[in-house]
Amino acid sequence: MFLITDLIALLTANLILTQALGTSTLFIAADNRRSLIWTALSITLFTTAGSCAAYMTDWLLPAAAKDLTLLMYTLSVSIIYVLLLSALYFISRTTFNKAKKYIHLSAFNCAVMGTLFTATGRASADPSAFSISSYVLFGLEAGAGFVISALILTAAYRKLNSAKVPAPFRGFPAMLVYLGIISMAVYALK
Amino acid sequence: MSKKKFHPFEGIWRDNTVLSSLMVISPVIVCGDTLRNAAALIYAFSAITLLSVLISSFVPKKLPYAAKIVIYALISSAVYIPVKLAAQEFFPGVVSRVGIYFPLLAVNSLIVFQTEAKFFRMPKKHMLVSLISYIIGFDAVMLITAFVRELIAYGTINSRMADADTLISGLGLPFGGFILLGLFCGVYRALRSLFTGEDKEAD
Repeated sequence: MFLITDLIALLTANLILTQALGTSTLFIAADNRRSLIWTALSITLFTTAGSCAAYMTDWLLPAAAKDLTLLMYTLSVSIIYVLLLSALYFISRTTFNKAKKYIHLSAFNCAVMGTLFTATGRASADPSAFSISSYVLFGLEAGAGFVISALILTAAYRKLNSAKVPAPFRGFPAMLVYLGIISMAVYALK
Repeated sequence: MSKKKFHPFEGIWRDNTVLSSLMVISPVIVCGDTLRNAAALIYAFSAITLLSVLISSFVPKKLPYAAKIVIYALISSAVYIPVKLAAQEFFPGVVSRVGIYFPLLAVNSLIVFQTEAKFFRMPKKHMLVSLISYIIGFDAVMLITAFVRELIAYGTINSRMADADTLISGLGLPFGGFILLGLFCGVYRALRSLFTGEDKEAD
């Protein structure tokens, strides 16, 4: 029962199904298992580490300089991006070559930046959520939400791309309509 | 320089930013439900994208790919600051209503990734024309989507009551945005293949 409640909570807080953040990346991730794993890993890493950096930014940035928030978030994500690429490059050249495409794709993604802004928004609305653990947990939830959405899309991916779908609607248009129907179901769960 | 034939209006029709490339779709899906929101987003997207890509075109091409991506993202985030301040004057109230989608426009994939893959492979004049066409492509889709959604979901046109008999309030919600954009995408592809004779269903 707890698992079902948690799953419903993850779905209703899902950034893709409720806020359409990172939709086009989701389409790339759902293409095959390898894409799904690498994209999900890198998105989760960026949302979690990024949320941690967002907490530091929100904590350090004075209220008068709030207009600089986006610039600071971009700078934080850039540092994580460069560090991650450098670490992979020195650890294993093979892994670096496999993963770099997905890291490039995930770094400045709406799902990542949207997570940082949503975490900040939550903390502004509820001061008890202004803690590093709350931010990091939210980042992890956002990554898990991405994985759930990708799995939901993967389940229908082949059919939505099959010859049975009329040519103009095959692929992306059918996937958007499908996500819309899932999003409607999630909306009903709220 | 790219040897590919130059199509000045590619971004509006053949390779529309939203309907073909599926770039910058989240603001269209979530916030493109009224013409007021659309106007603010169109202003912000056009100003940020145009200025960011123009400034980014001076970044040395010899830098590593990751460094260039970081610089492009930082430039657009810096450009966002004056654009947001001006938006608060021109569109009071809309910036807060649009919420996180306003800053997200600054790190859109057209600026961060397509600059490198598309625009910077062209001569400067071609780049400017092409960039403007991609911006108009986004603006047109945002405007049409917002018009249809506002009329059908709320029965208004630019916040003025319209004579709409049947309202579908769900169209103003994100799921309505997903479904409508999916339908628009399909209709766009059908029309494109009809007029150009191309079948780009696998793009």
